[in-house]
Parts: sequence; C-alpha cells; structure tokens
Amino acid sequence: MPHLTVLEGEDRFYFKLAFCSFFLIILMVASLHFGAEIYTPYEVWNAFWELETEASIIIQTLRVPRMVLAPVTGMALALSGLLLQTVSGNPLASPAFLGVNSGAAFFVLLAFSFFGFTSLWFLSLIAFAGALTAISLVFLLAFSFGASFQQSTLLLAGITLSSFLSSAITILLATNETTLEALLFWLSGSFANRDMSGLIIVVPVLFFSIIVTLIMKSSLDSLLMDDESAKALGLSIFKLRLFFIFLSALLASLAVVLAGPVAFIGLVAPHIAKNYAGLSHLRNIPFCLLFGAHLTLMADIATRILLSPSEAPLSAVLAFIGVPFLVFLLLSKKRGVVG
Amino acid sequence: MKRSFFRNNSILLGLVFLLAVVSLISLQLGSSFISFERMINILVGQGTKSDILIVTKLRLPRIILAINTGIALAVSGLLLQIVIKNPLASPSLFGVVDGAALGAIIFLVLFSSETGNLVFPVEWQPVAAFLGSLLAIFVVFWLTILDGRGLSRLILYGICFSALATALISLLMIIGPIHRASQAFLWLTGSVHAANWQKVVISSSALIITAPIMMLLSSSMKQLMLDEESAQATGLTVKTSLVLMVILATFLTAIAVSFAGAVGFVGLLAPHIARFFTPSHGLILLFITALTGALLVLGADFLGRIAFQPLQIPAGAITAFIGAPYFLFMLRFKNVFHRR
Repeated sequence: MPHLTVLEGEDRFYFKLAFCSFFLIILMVASLHFGAEIYTPYEVWNAFWELETEASIIIQTLRVPRMVLAPVTGMALALSGLLLQTVSGNPLASPAFLGVNSGAAFFVLLAFSFFGFTSLWFLSLIAFAGALTAISLVFLLAFSFGASFQQSTLLLAGITLSSFLSSAITILLATNETTLEALLFWLSGSFANRDMSGLIIVVPVLFFSIIVTLIMKSSLDSLLMDDESAKALGLSIFKLRLFFIFLSALLASLAVVLAGPVAFIGLVAPHIAKNYAGLSHLRNIPFCLLFGAHLTLMADIATRILLSPSEAPLSAVLAFIGVPFLVFLLLSKKRGVVG
Repeated sequence: MKRSFFRNNSILLGLVFLLAVVSLISLQLGSSFISFERMINILVGQGTKSDILIVTKLRLPRIILAINTGIALAVSGLLLQIVIKNPLASPSLFGVVDGAALGAIIFLVLFSSETGNLVFPVEWQPVAAFLGSLLAIFVVFWLTILDGRGLSRLILYGICFSALATALISLLMIIGPIHRASQAFLWLTGSVHAANWQKVVISSSALIITAPIMMLLSSSMKQLMLDEESAQATGLTVKTSLVLMVILATFLTAIAVSFAGAVGFVGLLAPHIARFFTPSHGLILLFITALTGALLVLGADFLGRIAFQPLQIPAGAITAFIGAPYFLFMLRFKNVFHRR
C-alpha cells in the first residue's frame, strides 16, 4: 500500500475539510431552492417566517426534511461502503453489491405484508436483521469456495443473492396489489414524503459508528496490509473483520429505513475519498462522510428537477452517476484496483 | 469407464423419460382437463374444435417454448461457468437479460399511443428485446476488449451494464402509462404464457443451428477446465474456443429471453444439478444440463399454471423460488463444483 505512510501537511488537510464542509452547506441551501417550484433566496428566507403560504408549506414540510435526510443517509452509506471495502480487501465491495440493500428491503417487505406497519423501531430492527442475514450469507458463500477464491467471487455471490431477493420482492409485490402501489416507489429509493422521525434512531447510531471507526482507525489501517503482517501486530483479524462487517450492515440497513434501497453511494464516495485524502483511515473517513452527503444531496436535487413536476427514482439517478464511475474504475490500470 | 458410460446413459434416458412425462401431463392438465381418449382423438383428427384449439394452439407451443427456453438458458449457463471458471457465473450476470428487458420495455413505453394502444403489433416485442440484448453484448464485449485483462472481466462490465439498464427501466416504468408498467413487470419475471408457433419455430431453429457448434465445443470442455497453459499444451486453441463459447452463450440467452422474458436462475441451477448427476464432462454433461434446464422451465411453467388456479404464476417466479433454497444448499455442499 503505497500511500499509507505519506501524510500531507496538517494545514492542507484542514483546508480541504473546511472546503468540503462549506460545499455541503451550499448544497443543503441549494436543496431548499430547487424542485418542481424554483424559489429565489429571498422567497426561501421569507418562507421560514411565514405561515400558510404555498412557499412556506412546500419548504417547511417538504424540503427541510429532505435537506436533512439526504446527507445523513449518504453518510451512513458511504461509511458502510468504506468499511466493507477495507474489510473484504475488494475495491468493488459496497452495501448494494453485497446484498445488504435487497436483504433489508426483502425483510421489511415481508414484515410489512404480514404485520402491516407497526413502528419505526420494529422496521429498523427488521431491516437490520435482513441486512445482516444477507451479508453473512454472501460472505459465507464466497469463502466456501475457498480453494478457488477470486476477488470477483464475493461480488458474484452478492449479486446472485440480490437477484434472488429482488425476484422474491417482485413476487411479493405481484401477489399483493395494495402494497405494490405503496411500496413500488419506496423500493426505487427516494426522500420524498419521508418521515423525519427515523433520524431519532439513525443519527445516534451514525454518530456512534463514526466515533468507533475513528478510534479504531489503526486497526482498520492494519486490515489493509496482508494478513500475516497484521497478525504480527497481534490483532485478531477474524474478530475485527466480523465487527466491521456487523457495523457496516447496521449502517446500511438504517439507510434503507430512511430512503429505501439506494445503490452506488457506498461504492463511489469511499473511492473519491481515498483518491482525495489517501488510504489512512483517519484521513479519509471525514471525506468519505462528506462526499457521501454531497452525492446524495446532488442526486436528490436531480430527482426533483429531472422529470419535474413528477419525481425520478433516486436509484436511477444514482446509477447514471455511479455506472460511468464504476466503468472508469474498472478500466483504470492502477495497481490495486480489482485484478 | 464402462460403468460410468452405463450410468450416464441411464441418467440421460431417465431425464428424457421424465421430460416426456411432464410434457404429457402438462398437455392434459390446465383450466380444462383433456383425457387420453380425447388426445388420441385429436391425433387421428377427430377431436372437437375446442380441444384441438386448446392443445395445438395454446398448450403445445407453450410446452415446446418452455423446453427451448430451458435448454438455451441451461447450456448458456454451463458455457459461461466454464469460460469464467467460476461456479457462480450465470447468463443474467452478463447484462444480456437486462439488455433484453430494456429493449422490451422501451418498445412497450415508446410505441404506446396517447390512448395506451401499441402503435406496432405486439409481435415485434421479441425483436426489440433481441436488439436490446445485442446492444448489451456489444457494449460489454467492447468494454472487455478495451480493458484487455481477459474474459473474466466480462462479468464486471456485465454488472455495470445491468445496473444502467435497470435504472433506465425503472425510469421508463414511471414515465409510461401504468398498465404498461404492469405489463413490463410480467415480462421481467419471465413467462412463456404468450407462446405461439412462430416463436417456437424461431427458437427451435436457433437451437438446431447452434447444436453442432455446441457439440464440437463440448469435446474440449474438459481441457478448458484446466488452466490455460495446460489446455494449450493439449493442443487446443484456447482463446478461439473461449470466445466462441461466450458468443454462443450470449446468443442463446438472447434468444431465450426475447421470447420468454427474464426467466431467472435456470442458467445458474441447471449446470450445478447436472454436475450432481454425472462426474463426466463433454457431450454427456452438455446433454444432461440441457435436459435439466428444459425440465426446470417446463416444470415451473406447469406448476405456475396448475398450483394456484385460477391465478397464473409466471414461470420465472417459480424458478426463483426453487433457486433460493438451492443457493443455501450450495453452502452446505460447497464442493459440488470442485469435487472432480
């Protein structure tokens, strides 16, 4: 790992951090202005102090929740993706590709069609159970082909499981027409008409995960080395891996609760962060979080403008950003990128 | 050597027999039961008009199309697993299926008039699907060649193409009229319910044309399972065979999904089940895989037609339900692929 020890100057790091945070604020403000109706800054400012006008209702009840939900979701997914990439040693690992999204979605759908919507806590728990089940199956399956283990096997296992689950979802939807109408849009991911109350669960968990990963930064760094050298440092690789897989499944499943299954943020954001800030986790975790938030906010704004006045599915918009990026990543001849 | 020869042939015969039995039963059963007597009557040309209609216009083409679809998908899966040297490879991972889906859905959405009627006759939908899958093959191959790191990269670019196609599909389904979306939904699960003789003739001739090439290639399968150097040492032009296999596999998938929609998991399951039956490679494995695939799709279609009457479950939904438990089963018997 070439960049691991090359640290840039502290000043440069803080400058970049400040710049990216500033950009996040700009995007959040912009997200209040753009949509089916485009408002001027003056109108937006007024909308906060008025009641009952059209602008104030749209901005206060529709746009403010999205402005908060999008970055939180993006951060959770980006961190989840970064952890998975480090743990699996596979630069293409991401929650969506390892079956986390479809696992959570499938379980939520099952719970929804059998018990109805009970409570947010219940759904979050179910989503987490689904995510954890799916990702454990994927890792088990990939490692069960031990002798011929290729990097792409993990990916294949994930995608195969995802496609199983998504056809199961299709079947559930096809047999249950009332939920089809309600959940078809949820399943393509969106921040429209979402409940802010999910944040009560997600924000503390996200905060806790960020603290934990920052504390354990050196263990994460050591996972980037080959197993032998990590063992020499006296680390239990297996337990570490298990813990971080658990954490990333938790983060990704909470993102599913907030926004539905959303792909590509967990793949793209960590890569940009690694290119921007290097491979040391202390350095790239903050940027990873910020880029995740940027991407999600931009995509959310795009969903509102693209098909205005109706809304484009978030996952489709993200795929249009993510796929070219993925192709570029695959084509790049750099060492260490999926051989 | 003798014993395995005997064993293989008896398995082959058993599968053919099973296929014949299932075909016969699914010819008889359905929303109306047609007894043996009435079947024989139809054969000698004395059946009632409605019986003849049901058997020759509805059930027979459906059965044959199901068998053709199964064969094409299964063989395609086998070839791809050999080329990629990965037991998890399946035709749906190469973007071909989603490409076909994209073609079919573009056709449904773009050629609907304001009132929701199709501008073109619906018979053109398979053509659109086929064009879509050709586009997928072209893009995925082009990227792989651009990459230049071997055929195993096909799968990665296939995944990319699939993701993009899926995004476009979900966008189109939201733009288009709602009844088109539900029509597209049915196509995406995969079903042979819309079979007719025209489709049967086209898919059968595609299988017949490609059969000799498949058989020629099958003799070299065993060598291809080895690493490239040893394969080259046995005097095989490895690259040509591999490329030929991929082209053949994607072509077969394109044919299958154009007519039957995205029937999933047959290409993944059939080769595994076949390997469970026989330790052999080559022609015998090819035949057993093809028969297994045919049985899977035919059985799934039959079950979907009968089990939940009057509801008709698309065949693709049933194969998915068979596929999921098998996926777990693979975890337990992980050595199925590498045992020999």
